[in-house]
Amino acid sequence: MATALGVSPNRMEVMKLKKRLGLAQRGHDLLKEKMDALVIEFLEVFRKIQDFRTKALKQLSTAHRALTNCFAVMGTLETTQAARETKRELQIEISTRYLMGISIPAVEFGGAQRNALTRGYSLHTTSSVLDEAAMEFERALGLLVELAEAEAVALAIIRELEKAKRRVNALEYILIPKLKEALKFILMRLDEMERENFTRLKRIKAILEERR
Amino acid sequence: MNADRLIKLELARLNMHLPEKRISLKEALSSAKPQVRTREGGVHSFKRRELELLAELLPEADWEKLQLPIFIALEPKLGRGAARVSGEAEARVAGRLLGKEATGELRIYRPEVALLRRKLSTTTQYLFVW
Amino acid sequence: MSYKIAVIGDRGTTTGMALAGATYTHVHAKRDETLAKLKEFLTSDEIGLVLVTHRVAEELGFDFRLMMRTKRLLPMVLRIPDKTGYVPGVDELRETIKRTVGAEIVVKKEG
Repeated sequence: MATALGVSPNRMEVMKLKKRLGLAQRGHDLLKEKMDALVIEFLEVFRKIQDFRTKALKQLSTAHRALTNCFAVMGTLETTQAARETKRELQIEISTRYLMGISIPAVEFGGAQRNALTRGYSLHTTSSVLDEAAMEFERALGLLVELAEAEAVALAIIRELEKAKRRVNALEYILIPKLKEALKFILMRLDEMERENFTRLKRIKAILEERR
Repeated sequence: MNADRLIKLELARLNMHLPEKRISLKEALSSAKPQVRTREGGVHSFKRRELELLAELLPEADWEKLQLPIFIALEPKLGRGAARVSGEAEARVAGRLLGKEATGELRIYRPEVALLRRKLSTTTQYLFVW
Repeated sequence: MSYKIAVIGDRGTTTGMALAGATYTHVHAKRDETLAKLKEFLTSDEIGLVLVTHRVAEELGFDFRLMMRTKRLLPMVLRIPDKTGYVPGVDELRETIKRTVGAEIVVKKEG
């Protein structure tokens, strides 16, 4: 097995192997710490996701009801016309933040809330049911932005966890056992060679003594 | 030897998210965009809400001493599930948040790490030590 | 940096979101058109968030999933129910979690 690694049994190789084994162990232990930390982070963001999802879905369904009402009262055409007239330049601030080598979005959003006067559609041709619908959707949008951020973070963490897990497994089940096995083999072989050497020296000594 | 190179690369990557230089709480509070540059050349922003929380937990005289982000050190030697916060001001403020006494260094365990990370998600960072 | 919001879905969703201030909308009709629009949104440097209804995402099927796997960090993409409230039976996030994190969480609870 050691020869499969292409090393010859000598003390230098033992040192090299021990170093490699140390490196692999260190890598393994640290990646496990990283995985633990990633799970902590994940549980936290997952908690947020469940909370946001419940709130957002509830608000979204409220918003749709208000819109359906608006379609009924004001008419579909008039409503879509009003939507076209609305100021649609809503901005969200997205910057990056880092979490253990993963870059994730950090979103700052003041909220979409406006009022009938500032939305942009004419108050003459629209009714208050439109304001209702718009307001409910503005609220929904605010919650959805938070949910989107949380889900993006969760996905990034999961991807990183998968990567780390693959590496930990490769170290634990393939590389480290291989190195340990090779080390064992070389030490055994060195031991053997030393004993052979010792026996040979003894014989030579005996022969020399006989000659005297 | 390819495996060794990969391991070394992974180890190098572990702390890449950390800033080249930290900034004090004082500096962060007075900045319009409190942030630090990461080693990878990225930008990591601090949430104002967290800065304000930290300011409440420390006397103003110490604001210059507290370096951000606060490092939560993970070292296999400490044992799995254990972490450490070093630094006079850092340990003190972390201790105050967790309801513990701390001088110079604070040893914490997984649930406390989780709590610190929840309250100070942008002003704390994991630091891997080996 | 500032980004805008885009929406892909049925008329109700797009109208409602437009009223709330979303800049770009696309009412889904034909699969190819919608896929092209989605690609446009995903490669735009202006857009930070794309909302897509579950129904549309499902209809786009594999192509949608592929685009999700290969897209850049931004824009973020979120699937939302339309006015029928339809959500798929399988929660993709939960499934992904079970696959990766699930094992870790179980171990944690025991250890």
